[in-house]
Amino acid sequence: MTRSIVVVTAGLSEQSSTSMLADRLATESVAALAKRDVEATAEIIELRPLAHDLTNNLLTGFAAGPLVAALRSVREADGVIAVTPVFSASYSGLFKTFFDVLEVGALDGKPVLMAATAGTSRHSLMLEHTMRPLFSYLRAVIVPTAVLAASEDWGSAGGVSGELSTRIARAAGQLGDLVAGLPNQQVKRDRFADVPDFETLLNA
Amino acid sequence: MQFGIFTVGDVTEDPTTGTTPTEHERIKNTVAIAKKAEEVGLDVFATGQHHNPPFVPSAPTTTLAYIAAQTSRLILSTSTTLITTTDPVRIAEDYATLQHLSDGRMDLMMGRGNMGPVYPWFGKDIREGIPLAIENYALLRRLWREENVDWQGRFRTPLQGFTSTPRPLDGVPPFVWHGSIRSPEIAEQAAYYGDGFFGNHIFWPASHTEQMVGLYRERFEHYGHGAADQAIVGLGGQVYLARNSQDAVREFRPYFDNAPVYGHGPSLEEFMSQTPLTVGTPAQVVERTLGFREYVGDYQRQLFLVDHAGLPLATVLKQLDMLGEVVAELRPAFEALRPSHVPSDPPTHATQLANQTASQSSAAETTGGQQ
Repeated sequence: MTRSIVVVTAGLSEQSSTSMLADRLATESVAALAKRDVEATAEIIELRPLAHDLTNNLLTGFAAGPLVAALRSVREADGVIAVTPVFSASYSGLFKTFFDVLEVGALDGKPVLMAATAGTSRHSLMLEHTMRPLFSYLRAVIVPTAVLAASEDWGSAGGVSGELSTRIARAAGQLGDLVAGLPNQQVKRDRFADVPDFETLLNA
Repeated sequence: MQFGIFTVGDVTEDPTTGTTPTEHERIKNTVAIAKKAEEVGLDVFATGQHHNPPFVPSAPTTTLAYIAAQTSRLILSTSTTLITTTDPVRIAEDYATLQHLSDGRMDLMMGRGNMGPVYPWFGKDIREGIPLAIENYALLRRLWREENVDWQGRFRTPLQGFTSTPRPLDGVPPFVWHGSIRSPEIAEQAAYYGDGFFGNHIFWPASHTEQMVGLYRERFEHYGHGAADQAIVGLGGQVYLARNSQDAVREFRPYFDNAPVYGHGPSLEEFMSQTPLTVGTPAQVVERTLGFREYVGDYQRQLFLVDHAGLPLATVLKQLDMLGEVVAELRPAFEALRPSHVPSDPPTHATQLANQTASQSSAAETTGGQQ
């Protein structure tokens, strides 16, 4: 069966380094799965066009517009790649808002690759100290290698420096291993199908 | 089919004038709004129950009894009665008293309440919301149906030989609805007892309501109370009316934009497309409201929210005049679409009493035949 990789990226400008990193990770992850004889697709979800719907969701309590499909994609994904710029020593507020409105349990046991972009590599440990606890809380299975791309990693001709390439390949390979090892039938949660019989509720 | 209004009872600044009614004004306005509802031909007035500012209705039966004394036809109800944090013994007593005073012109809707701080004020824990709703309601039913109740549970002092007084009018317990936005357990509860289920509907996408009502109907049939399409369903609605739609939108927009629940978020136009909110002409409200049955099936009670977000009394009373016209059109239109085996109205005191008398006399005949 075809696996779906969903990339959530919180870059704010067109062709941001965050989007570039997200694209690289998506391509490498699909390639890593191909090497393991697993067919995979990658869907990129840019959060910038969803910013208004995300704020509205905070205020109204429900998702509307294209946000509905974006949340569904993440919920149904076999693996997630989450990429944010580093803002004030953390993930961006826009990035956090998406995971705040994602329904409880949506990432349970799901492989997640974390990545971030920053102006300097001094922000590297944000991934370990701030982002990893977020996804631990969401009960994701987090890929051991997290990828930070700082300005100096992008090299001179818009390419990616050797060291960053190595990290991307290592992280994508680890995500590939996790996704390839998933059971074929994923359990999809449905709270309406799981309502206990009333006698059970009454005697609880 | 019954039509009416339901109020949250919020004290909110009118964003167009900066005026905030006093609690005294808000309470008196609520009474005026209820009386107007009867005058324009509506059937039901329901009030919420809240125990924190900026809301005034902490003692619903006091207000409802006062309204009952000044009306003759209106059914008094709640939206909702907090079954989690209110002692079921007090609910049994208060609402049985209201039932006597109103000559049976009342019913009530159970709800959990979603404000975390309210629970500990009444010695409860919001994390126990569903178990509280289930245990307390099970006790409430017994208090209305059994003279002497021996009872022990998790959330309240045990009762030994307790008799709730006054006994329900004519021995007929008030009809009960259960309201919930997102908890399928409550739809399951309503179905189990064959009670009514009220979909709040407003402020949420229709898909939420469709799913909840669908579950309730399916389980109502499962528990043997009738066919799924005969289950007793009520729905909320939210409208603002004017003779032409541009005026309606222009007049309502400042209230919408600053409303406590959804303000400063989506635009009025977005919210109208995402939720049941209808701001427009009477004809537009008729058309939209008739569309609700397409996803919840034929239903028995439609309540509208018309008095929130700082709308002044004069505006609300004008809204009710137009809502009266809307309802006069909706009544025959809903009935024309309803299959004959689907009840038009929810149970009332009169119909429940007739059923009770009928079942008692048939029981008496059976007993007579055996002798």
